[in-house]
Amino acid sequence: MRLNRRHFLAGSAAASATLGMPAILRAQPSEYVIASSLPLTGPFATAGQMVAPALRMFEALVNEDGGIGGVPIRVTAEDSGYVPANALANYQRALATEPNLVMYFGDSTGFMKLVAPELRGASARLMGSTSFASELADPVNNPYQYLPGPSYEDQFDILLQQIADEGGSSVAFIFSNTEFGRDPIAHGRARAEELGLRVVLEEATREQGADIPTHVTQLAQSGAEFCILQGYVTGVWPQLIGGARQFGLPTRFMGTFWGMENAIADRVTAEAGPILDGYAGVMPYKYFYDPERGPVYERYAAFQKAAFAGTPLENYMPTWGLQALFSLTIGIEALRKVAEKGLELTADNAAEALADIRDWDTGGFFGVPVSMVNNKIGTGRVYQYGAETRLFTPTSDWFTV
Amino acid sequence: MGQILQFTINGLMSGAIYALIAVGLVSVFKATRVVNFAHGYLIMFGAYFYFTFAVLVPQLPFAPDWLQSWRPEWMLAMREGLPMFSPMAAVLDWLANLPRILLGLAGALVCNALLGMLIERTLMRPLMGQSVFAMIMLTVGLISILSGAAQLIWTSDAEFVPALAPNTPIRFEMFGANIFLFGADLANMAIALLIFVGIVVMVHYTKSGVAIRATAEDQSTAYSMGISVPKVFSRAWVLASTTGAIAGAILATRNGISPALGLFGFSVLAIVLMGGLDSYLGVFIAAMAVGVLEALTQWKLGGEWAGIVPYVAVLIVILIRPHGLMGSKEIERI
Repeated sequence: MRLNRRHFLAGSAAASATLGMPAILRAQPSEYVIASSLPLTGPFATAGQMVAPALRMFEALVNEDGGIGGVPIRVTAEDSGYVPANALANYQRALATEPNLVMYFGDSTGFMKLVAPELRGASARLMGSTSFASELADPVNNPYQYLPGPSYEDQFDILLQQIADEGGSSVAFIFSNTEFGRDPIAHGRARAEELGLRVVLEEATREQGADIPTHVTQLAQSGAEFCILQGYVTGVWPQLIGGARQFGLPTRFMGTFWGMENAIADRVTAEAGPILDGYAGVMPYKYFYDPERGPVYERYAAFQKAAFAGTPLENYMPTWGLQALFSLTIGIEALRKVAEKGLELTADNAAEALADIRDWDTGGFFGVPVSMVNNKIGTGRVYQYGAETRLFTPTSDWFTV
Repeated sequence: MGQILQFTINGLMSGAIYALIAVGLVSVFKATRVVNFAHGYLIMFGAYFYFTFAVLVPQLPFAPDWLQSWRPEWMLAMREGLPMFSPMAAVLDWLANLPRILLGLAGALVCNALLGMLIERTLMRPLMGQSVFAMIMLTVGLISILSGAAQLIWTSDAEFVPALAPNTPIRFEMFGANIFLFGADLANMAIALLIFVGIVVMVHYTKSGVAIRATAEDQSTAYSMGISVPKVFSRAWVLASTTGAIAGAILATRNGISPALGLFGFSVLAIVLMGGLDSYLGVFIAAMAVGVLEALTQWKLGGEWAGIVPYVAVLIVILIRPHGLMGSKEIERI
């Protein structure tokens, strides 16, 4: 065949279309993927199994709102058993099998620290998690990882300040012997010294099946006025408080985010009586039963009633679920900003957009507008459990550290 | 000195529970030569059965009110005006729960015994005559089945159960130090020790016990002497399951209940190896030693070491005496 001008133009057009197609496909995929690791088995399975349905709801609602720039999202969840190496394997698998992976949700401090060095170049993705580990709020070394609330160190600062304000003089730290438990201890010790508080006991325990009599004995002998518990989810902390109450110890107990779930406090009260009355701690988000819940919680409530009828999630979303939902919501906010600018949804672009979030109305998660500063949102307030009402109610205003 | 006593007693209380868990492992091994890796999960099932009968059943619409909370007039009169955490209030609150505690224990014992029988009849007995290694591997597979089944039946929710005994605080002074003890933990220790001693006596002095020991010595000879070896196998599994049910109920009252309870069996496996797989006495000594070592390490070195030091001791003992403190030397290692 002779190559004339018509053939040349037709051939060029076909070649351009063929060569350009992948670029078009890359710019507008059929879906974006948000993958996650959850502890569906293992010591924190209670939390993981309640978060999994929340992720399904998140996917449905984001897609109702047009996904990211008109492209629907798909949320996947894999079990980690709360083993960081398993979660890392899940992440690597997601990278290998999901070409449109734009964000990842991790399930532990251990995993987030383990994966941090891997988040380079093509292996980097925007990454939220269940962790409030202080080390992760580090935009210089971990630009893609962020905290959906105040770090554990921030939460300790708030509690120690409250103890100092109430005229307390001695405090004990009881924590699980895990990354999660140990995270704020050194910082807390230093902060207590600055505030003139004596740290009379630092006691590490197993995260499950702790030897309660021994720990309560240590606490009793320390004579601590206050005790901050760190690194537990469903077990150990209620038994420690129960043991201390049985002994008539006047110690006042406090906790951080993962020890503040209302459903657990209710179950403890139902079986052990009002041992948790007066237990206080830091919570970044409004509880789901908050009378002034905003439009986002209202929307969740309507969805849950229809989709989760007959399950514990029909009328309630645990704080663990709220944390995962907010973590992903703020990630999606960043990704949408990137899409609006017509840029590719790379980890670098997403991290830049995330860092730019300022005075953002979250629609009800927080009582005030929040900002992402140093890859964390340092906003929260103190809640206290009442055995009569069986609710955690706020005892402070919203604050930002 | 007072401090040492305090933490030694705390350790002994933990050790007694380890011993109760270990007795099931030893019983199955003595009769069948199988190390039951799934024993921790049998215990977990015991804990869940206790939860079912002590918490869920009393909440059913047809359950009588007294089952959920038994509070006759005289009890209400006594309870009125008592401070929430006074010793008498603790005793009365426990009495109010007693009907469901008893139902829970009975339900856990029966259901776990049936579970043990089911496992033995459907999974272990068909493998009789095959290599012991195959049976051991089967118990490893059983871990996944039991763990998955528990999550399907009861979900992974953390739950709480009523204590087996009133949790009244006990304080006294000794060697110049205040000693604190929990009533429920002392009762748990007493229950564990009684059961342990009962089983040892049964194995040594009853016909069934002699059959277990004879089978442990030599299955073929036991057969030829007219002992029904399959029955011995079945009894050993039922024994392990029922002691596991009590251990599960005790663990559930101490730590709450969740599928993670099954992992407890693995730490006790090390204790059994230390004591000797086929020696009740050796295992008892090992359990108490590890319990005390754990508590003393927690006291002196902190929790970071409490999970390591006792098991280093286990390792050292096994290195020096590969058959354990009092185990038979001819035991085949796995």
